[in-house]
Amino acid sequence: MAFEPKIIGFLCNWCSYTGADLAGVSRIKSAPNVRVIRTMCSGRVDPSFILKAFQIGADGVIVMGCHLGDCHYQEGNYKTIRRIPFLKRLVKGFGIDPRRLRLEWVSASEGDRFARIVNEFTEEIRSLGPLKLQVHTELRKTIHEPVEVV
Amino acid sequence: MVTLKIDDKQVQVPEDTSILKAAEKAGIWIPTLCYSELFEPYGVCRLCVVEAVRGKRSRVVTSCNYPVREGINVLTNSPKIQWIRKTILELMLARWPNVKVVKDLARDVGVEKPRFVSLQRDEAEDACILCGKCVSVCREVVQANVLGFAYRGIKREIALPFGVQSEACIVCGACAHVCPTGHIKMVVEDYKGKKPEFTLGPKTAIYVPTLQAVPRVPVIDADSCIHFKTGGCEYCAKVCEPNAINFGMKDEVEEIEVGQILVATGFDIFDASAMAQYGYGTLDNVYSSLEFEMMLNSTGPTNGQVLTKDGREPRSVAIVHCIGSRDTNHHSYCSRVCCMYALKYAHLVHDRTKASIYQFYIDMRAFGKGYEEFYVRILDKGVKVIRGKVAEVVEAPPAQKDEGSLVVRCEDTLAGKLLEIPVDMVVLCNAIEARRDSDAVRRLFSISKSPDGFFLERHPKLDPTSTMTDGVYIAGCAQGPKDIPDVVAQASSAAARMLSFISKGEVEIDPVRAFVQEEYCSGCKICNSLCPYTAIEFLAEKKVSHVNEALCKGCGTCVAACPSSAMTGHGFTDAQILAELDGIMV
Amino acid sequence: MKRYRLQLMVCAGTGCVSNHSVEIKDALDREIEKHKLQNEAEVVFTGCNGFCGAGPIVVVQPDGVFYQLLKTADIPHLVEEHLLKGRPVKKLMYSPPAEKIPIPKMSDIPFFSDQTLIALRNRGMIDPEQIDDYIARGGYKGLVKALTMMTPDEVLKEIKSSGLRGRGGGGFPTGVKWESCKHAHGDIKHVICNADEGDPGAFMDRSIIEGDPHAVIEGMIIGAYAIEKVHQGYIYVRMEYPLAIKRFQIAIKQAREYGLLGENILDAGFTFDIDIRRGAGAFVCGESTALMASVEGKPGEPRAKYIHTVERGLWERPTCLNNVETWANVPQIILKGAQWFSSIGTGDVSADPWGGSKGTKVFSLAGKVNNTGLVEVPMGIPLRDIVFKIGGGIRDGKKFKAVQTGGPSGGFIPESLLDLPVDYEELTKVGSMMGSGGMVVTDEDNCMVDMARYFLAFTQAESCGKCTPCREGTKQMLDILDRISVGEGTEEDLVTLEDLSNVIVESSLCALGGSAPNPVLTTLKYFREEYEAHVKDKKCPSHTCRKLNTYSIDEKICLKLGHGCHVCVKHCPDAAIIGERKQVHYIDPAKCSKCGVCYDVCNFKAVQVA
Repeated sequence: MAFEPKIIGFLCNWCSYTGADLAGVSRIKSAPNVRVIRTMCSGRVDPSFILKAFQIGADGVIVMGCHLGDCHYQEGNYKTIRRIPFLKRLVKGFGIDPRRLRLEWVSASEGDRFARIVNEFTEEIRSLGPLKLQVHTELRKTIHEPVEVV
Repeated sequence: MVTLKIDDKQVQVPEDTSILKAAEKAGIWIPTLCYSELFEPYGVCRLCVVEAVRGKRSRVVTSCNYPVREGINVLTNSPKIQWIRKTILELMLARWPNVKVVKDLARDVGVEKPRFVSLQRDEAEDACILCGKCVSVCREVVQANVLGFAYRGIKREIALPFGVQSEACIVCGACAHVCPTGHIKMVVEDYKGKKPEFTLGPKTAIYVPTLQAVPRVPVIDADSCIHFKTGGCEYCAKVCEPNAINFGMKDEVEEIEVGQILVATGFDIFDASAMAQYGYGTLDNVYSSLEFEMMLNSTGPTNGQVLTKDGREPRSVAIVHCIGSRDTNHHSYCSRVCCMYALKYAHLVHDRTKASIYQFYIDMRAFGKGYEEFYVRILDKGVKVIRGKVAEVVEAPPAQKDEGSLVVRCEDTLAGKLLEIPVDMVVLCNAIEARRDSDAVRRLFSISKSPDGFFLERHPKLDPTSTMTDGVYIAGCAQGPKDIPDVVAQASSAAARMLSFISKGEVEIDPVRAFVQEEYCSGCKICNSLCPYTAIEFLAEKKVSHVNEALCKGCGTCVAACPSSAMTGHGFTDAQILAELDGIMV
Repeated sequence: MKRYRLQLMVCAGTGCVSNHSVEIKDALDREIEKHKLQNEAEVVFTGCNGFCGAGPIVVVQPDGVFYQLLKTADIPHLVEEHLLKGRPVKKLMYSPPAEKIPIPKMSDIPFFSDQTLIALRNRGMIDPEQIDDYIARGGYKGLVKALTMMTPDEVLKEIKSSGLRGRGGGGFPTGVKWESCKHAHGDIKHVICNADEGDPGAFMDRSIIEGDPHAVIEGMIIGAYAIEKVHQGYIYVRMEYPLAIKRFQIAIKQAREYGLLGENILDAGFTFDIDIRRGAGAFVCGESTALMASVEGKPGEPRAKYIHTVERGLWERPTCLNNVETWANVPQIILKGAQWFSSIGTGDVSADPWGGSKGTKVFSLAGKVNNTGLVEVPMGIPLRDIVFKIGGGIRDGKKFKAVQTGGPSGGFIPESLLDLPVDYEELTKVGSMMGSGGMVVTDEDNCMVDMARYFLAFTQAESCGKCTPCREGTKQMLDILDRISVGEGTEEDLVTLEDLSNVIVESSLCALGGSAPNPVLTTLKYFREEYEAHVKDKKCPSHTCRKLNTYSIDEKICLKLGHGCHVCVKHCPDAAIIGERKQVHYIDPAKCSKCGVCYDVCNFKAVQVA
């Protein structure tokens, strides 16, 4: 069986998620590999989420937000644009190809762009092959011990 | 008040009035040439001379600048004055035999042929007669001081400083306007090949925008107004009796606090010069829909008459649909209103002219109530309706000029024939498109746009007037092309939505909010400066940060940034997202 | 101050300087040093002496011995004889044209003896660059009197009752002008000295400035004091008068140093200063409104004067403008009183300021008289006295024809009117004017058509061109005169000329146009027969208009005296003269272009004009 990459997509609620919705409503065909997690803003994407995603077996992570200047929360995506390049350097240290992490801007009107990016990224990950990350199960546990919400 | 006699007619005028003005009041005509109400009398042509008689003393003075004196008797047409005027006009006629204004004045005072021949004779019809009006208007009214006289005596001539085009010239055209012979001309650059600045616009720098404007007061176009370029003129203020003109007024930015906003910023029309095949901007008598609408308006530049550029009634008019719409090179959407206004044009042109009318359409979309019936009516009037997109509009070859100045080429797709139709006028039905500044407006309100560029509604079916941003609504063509009934319906709906909020008196907010788990908070204050809504404050006694939930919008930027995971958010806690992650990785 | 036995006053007016008076002074200095007379004799440069035709001039004071037409070679002899041996040198003195007996004393020379000096009272007496010289001659005394003993109103009253009238030409009563300016509404007022002397051949103002600049400045200060609210004055001098500008600059600097200009003059609580404005030399800038426009930095063009400049002049402020000579008269009037001044001249000004002409007038006498130069005469003196007594009659015993007064726009006065008293009204009555004081004498050799054409050509070229009658009309008149002078004129032209002249006089914007036709009108009036000769007979009676002449060669003279010298053949540009060397020459009338060169070059007067 061919390698089907598992990709986690963090999509902002206002632009990218709506854009993805538009792609669906418009019946635009796109790769099914991206598994979407909705956040209110791309700025909400905690770096640990991304590391966690790789840790538990994602072959690629894509973060999508509003175009710069379009942020529903005024400047959340500016926070994101500072975090992702830093994270790329970090994951390289962990032995993960930084190409497996990507940041893209997709607006609510860009259903076609969403589909194109998803397809493109899926193909890229596919060519990179599966991410074989040795994960210590104990380590996984410690990370996976967040504070419980009261 | 001063009382004097002019040609034995008693006149009473205020002090400092010139004799010329007083004579005007008494209904006595005095010939003038260099005089204008616009500026101080220059007093050089000497045609307005009169005799001011006091007792036995008589003095020849120029009436334009001689102030009235108590008790004098002014003779405006005595033999002596006639003799002086005739001689002066003879001198002028000897030098400028073909200038109309000189010839007319000479005829008026009875000079047929001058006794002299001038060695400086200038036979041009538009020769400069050195009246100095242009110099005065430029100096006193415009205050640009660009024009002046050069050389002296018989060699005197109008000149620009050092004979070169001056940077101080604001190209206002006042000099050409006052020139009595047409020696100074305002050369309007031919608009061919350029985007036309449509000639139907206001002609002056102060104008009433439309007759329907509320309040109906004139506005000053500061970009064209002489006063705002040189500080001069102010002529409008001089003639305004109630003193209503205030040049000191500045554009003001007023801040108004509101709770809800309806964005109804309208649309632009597609610029047809992008489709060169239709000749818009390069051929005469090719109009955009908006220009044609102005022409049809009874308060417009032609008073509602349909006229070609040279003022004739067109023999035939072509109305071309779908300019920029339903076209994958420009806008793929249907502009929705064009079919119906095109039919309206046909109706009005039919009413006002005897022209034969052609409609070129792709599909006729008469979708609304009563629209189809109107279409049938138009067909009954004999409007020629041709299904086919126009390939090009070209200037008629000389052989075809007598049938029409333009030729429309098109394939009649129903008859399967190629057509070449000579017409005098082409009206383009430009598509409605999103305004040029819509992106800036969109960002201002944090709203999105749909692929066609118009503002995006929250839901196309269930919520077509509100947006993703609470309290911001959209209506009209800002949201997408629509005709007037649809706009009214949408705007009414938006207004109702807003009113319901107002009557409710309170605002419901999303439960998605951030909050601080104080026991984990180290008091580092990183989150404080991150929040774009300044919802996070630092509690100095507890040494922890605190979220004001009424201000927080729940973006979660602070949550992601918190180094001690003390900040978390309802509905989007780390645990929830991580659980989600776990779930979808199965 | 050092005292000398003798002072040698060397005229440094422009006329004498161009006749090398500077070299004369150097030579005098050298000779005096040679004879070790430095402690006994001093050589002083003075302003214009006035007798310009006799320059360079040296007057030896205190005796007043007048030496004229000096050359550097004469100086050693002069110093040795007069200074060392006390024997005045007769051959360097002036002798009247008819007689041969020289007149040693300056005051005995008729040119000087018939003059009355007020404006020129310091001429030849002081070094104009030394304020002390001026003060020594009673200068600034008038100012002291005005500022310390008189109120502004009293000063004004004095000027008014003196009957002083504008010396620039218009003859407007100075006191009336000052009074209007004083009463005009405005907080800042100005006085202006019009030193834009543009009349060709006139140099009265220049000589006053170059010879006695402080008199003008003193007059202006007094005027400013009388008018009140005047704290800044301007002197408008033409650029062509560099020496006058320099003298003014020096004088103003000295007056400031002496506290006579600036703040709190003479501790009288009165502040006034003067600046110099230089004109670029347009004739029309001598007209007051054009002058003020020029001072303001605008093109020098006149405007209608229906609102007087005393109400709205320079920068729209009340402005009192007077001519150099008028200002120079003021200190003397204040010092000696109005009564003294009004005792000179004609008429009665006690009731009507226009009732008479008082004081003196400076004229620059030029043309065909024996004594040319600057003269100051009392008003009312007959013209004949000026021409024949002071001027010494017509040169070379020729016959007097006319005298033109008042500059290029003045009229010509024929011999029949020579007994006319010099007076504003009288001169205007006969079609001429006082003007600024030019006086050109013509004799039988002058063609009046040509004279009129000459002056009209000047005013036409100087017309600013603003108003139609002056611009088009003067050119048209000149064209007609040009035609007449080459024999293309018709009798109708004379009628047109007269008619056009009258229209220009009536309807021109300023006085330049209003007076430009005067030479034509007066010559048409008094010398109409000359015009008629030109248009009817196509002849110029005085043979000035060469195109109307016929030139022929007197065979006898040519052969007998000249022996067929051939000079005329060489010079004739048209090769119209035929004849071999040592043979009789003939002029071929078909080829002759009537240039008159043959007449000029013939040494034997064999060429005849008819």
